[in-house]
Amino acid sequence: MAVISLVILTGTIMNVKAQNLTGREIMDKVYNRPSPDDQISDLTMTLINKSGQTRVRKLKQFIKDDGKVEKKIMFFIAPADVKNTSFMNWSYDNSDKSDDQWIYLPAIKRVKRISSDDKSDYFMGSDFTYDDLGDRKLDDDTHKLLREETIEGKDCYVVESVPKDEDYMYSKTVTWVMKDNYLGLKKEFYDEDGELLKILHVDKYQDFSGIWIIEKIVMKNVQNNHETKMELTDIKINTGIPDSKFTQRMMMRGL
Amino acid sequence: MKRVIIAIAMSFFALSYVNAQNNVDINGFARNYTGILYDNGDFSILQNTFNLDFQKTGDKVAFKVNPLLYTYGTDSINFRMRELYLDMYFKSFDLRIGKQQVVWGKADGVFITDIVSPLNLTEFLLPDFDEIRRGVYATKLDYYLGNSTFEVIWIPVLTPTVLPQQGSIWHVQPDFPAPPTFDYSKMNVKASLDNSEIFGKYSLMSSIIDIDLMGAYTWDATPTMHVQKQIEMDSTTHKPVLKGLLITPQHHRLTVAGGSFSSTIKGFVLRGEAAYYWGKYFQTADPAAVDAIVQKDYLNYVVGLDYIKGDWKFSTQFIQKRIFDYQEAIQEDEVQNMMTVLIHGDILRQTLHLELFSYIGLDNFNALIRPKITYDFSDAFSVLLGSNIFTGDEDGMFGKYGDNSMIYTKIKYNF
Repeated sequence: MAVISLVILTGTIMNVKAQNLTGREIMDKVYNRPSPDDQISDLTMTLINKSGQTRVRKLKQFIKDDGKVEKKIMFFIAPADVKNTSFMNWSYDNSDKSDDQWIYLPAIKRVKRISSDDKSDYFMGSDFTYDDLGDRKLDDDTHKLLREETIEGKDCYVVESVPKDEDYMYSKTVTWVMKDNYLGLKKEFYDEDGELLKILHVDKYQDFSGIWIIEKIVMKNVQNNHETKMELTDIKINTGIPDSKFTQRMMMRGL
Repeated sequence: MKRVIIAIAMSFFALSYVNAQNNVDINGFARNYTGILYDNGDFSILQNTFNLDFQKTGDKVAFKVNPLLYTYGTDSINFRMRELYLDMYFKSFDLRIGKQQVVWGKADGVFITDIVSPLNLTEFLLPDFDEIRRGVYATKLDYYLGNSTFEVIWIPVLTPTVLPQQGSIWHVQPDFPAPPTFDYSKMNVKASLDNSEIFGKYSLMSSIIDIDLMGAYTWDATPTMHVQKQIEMDSTTHKPVLKGLLITPQHHRLTVAGGSFSSTIKGFVLRGEAAYYWGKYFQTADPAAVDAIVQKDYLNYVVGLDYIKGDWKFSTQFIQKRIFDYQEAIQEDEVQNMMTVLIHGDILRQTLHLELFSYIGLDNFNALIRPKITYDFSDAFSVLLGSNIFTGDEDGMFGKYGDNSMIYTKIKYNF
C-alpha cells in the first residue's frame, strides 16, 4: 500500500525557461520538488463503478521524511469492517533496499510484517496502482517533450514517458505539466497494446507556503468505465510529527 | 435470565447515553451463521450473533467495551463480555487494566507463544481467530524505548480453556477400560496472589527483523486428568478386578520460555516461533505412574513463509512438537508434525474474497480443509459460503472428526 503523497502531481513554482528544457528535465522538476518534512491529512477515496454505484474508503495518514527514510502510517476509518486497521511503511532512499511494511488488524490484535514489492498492484481496489500514487522513480522511464499546449486555460508541457522495462503494465504515459508550477494537471495511461487505459485529472490543488499539494484527483479507467476519486482534507504540513508516531505502539493504539 | 436481559438493556442504554455525550465510537456486526453436516444433514451450527464494540480513545485514557449477544440453536439469548478494559497512556509506557484478549507471536492458526489468552474450543478450531480466544482479567504494562517494547502481564485468576461438553459433536469420549467417575472438586484454581500468572515479553521492531522474546510462569489452561483405578477383589475368582476409574481434572503450573521473529527476504516474509515448556503433565499407560500421568518438558515450534502477489496471498507453515525424555507409554507421539497452507485472494476490486486454509497432520495423514468464498454486496453487507472438510486417518487430530464435515454460510452486516 502507498500513502497518497502524489509525488508525480506535485511541484513548486520554478522560473525556468521552457525552451531549454528536455522532457526528462521537466519531469525531474515534477519529481524532485520541495516537499514538506511531514504531512497529516484525511483521505477519502470513492470508487464508482459503471452503474454509478459507489464505495467509500476513509483513512487518516501521517508522513515524515528525514531525507533517508520516508515513514508513513495510515489509520483506516471506513468502511466499518476495516475500521482501526493500520498500515505502516518505511521507504528508503537507497533504491536497493525494499520498503518495510507492517499491518495491524484489530480482529487478530497483532502487528504483522508484510512484503509486497510489486508496484503495479492496485491500491485498495481503486484505479490507482502504487506507482500511480508516487512510488515510481524518475529514471524508470524515458521522457520526451512532445509539444506545448493550453488546456483548461493552463499553459502546459506535454511529456511522453516510456518505461524502460518492456514488461511494465503501461506501454507509455503522457503527462500535461503546468508551466507555472510544474504540477501535473492531466495524465493518460496506455496499456500494453498501446490503447488508452486510464485518464487522471487534477481537480483541486493548493499552495501551502510554496509547496503545492494536490487536494482532489480523479482516475477514470476508460476501458471498463470505473473511476476513483481521491480527496485530501484537513491537510497540515511541517507540524513536527515525532518519530514515536511511526511505531508498533501507535499502530495498535489507533487514532 | 430476566436479570441478565435487564442488565444488558441497562448497559446498552448507559452506553448509548455515554455515546451521545462523549462521542464514543460504536461498531459491530450482526451475523447469521448456519452449518449443515454432509454426513446426515443435521444442522451443526445455528447461530445468530450481535457483536458490539464501544471504544473511546483520548490522549491520556481510553476504554473498550465489547459485549457479545448470541443465540445458539435456541431462542435463549446468551451474553458474553469479550473485553472490557481501561487504557492509561503515559509518556513512555501504557497501562491496560481489565478483561482483555492478548495475542502474542508470529504464527497463524497455531498457538506456540500465544498462551496468554486461552481458547474456547467448544467448536474445535472453527471460530474466527478473534472469536476463539477468551478474554483474561489482567493488568498489562508496556514500556517503550525506541523501537523496543517491554511488556509485563499479571493475571490474578486463571481463565481456563473451554472444552466441548458431552453431547457436542466436538466432544470425543475417551475409550475408558472401566466406568469413569469424575471429581471436579480440584479443578478450580482459587484467585489469590500465590496463584497469579505472570508473563513477560521483549519486542523489537526494526528494518531488518522483528523479534519477540517471552517468558511465563503460568497455569496449564487445559486441566490434567488424574486417573485413579478403583480395584476390588472378585468374590468368585479372588482376583483384583478393575471396577471403575476416578478421574480428577486438575490444573498445574507451567513455566514457558520462547520467542518469535519475522523478516523479509526477497519479497517473502520468513516467520518463526518457538517455545519450551517445562513440567507439562502427559497421560501415560505406564502402570507404575501415579495417577496415570507423567511430567515432561516439550518444545513446540513453527516456521512459516508468506508471499503476496497482486491480490493474492500465499502462506505455509511447518509446526513440530517434540517431547523430551520420552517414554513409550505416553499417550502422545514423541514427535508430532503438522503444516498449514493458506491461499487467499481479494478480486473484483476487493469485493470477492476466495480462501483455502488447511491444517495437515503429517504423521498419520489427516487434514482439515477450509475453502470459503465471500462476496461483499456492499461495504457493510457480505455473504460467505464455506466448507469444513475433515479427512484422513481417524486417529489423527482432524481425521477423528470425519463425521463433522460441513457446509456453512455466514451472512454479516457490519456497522
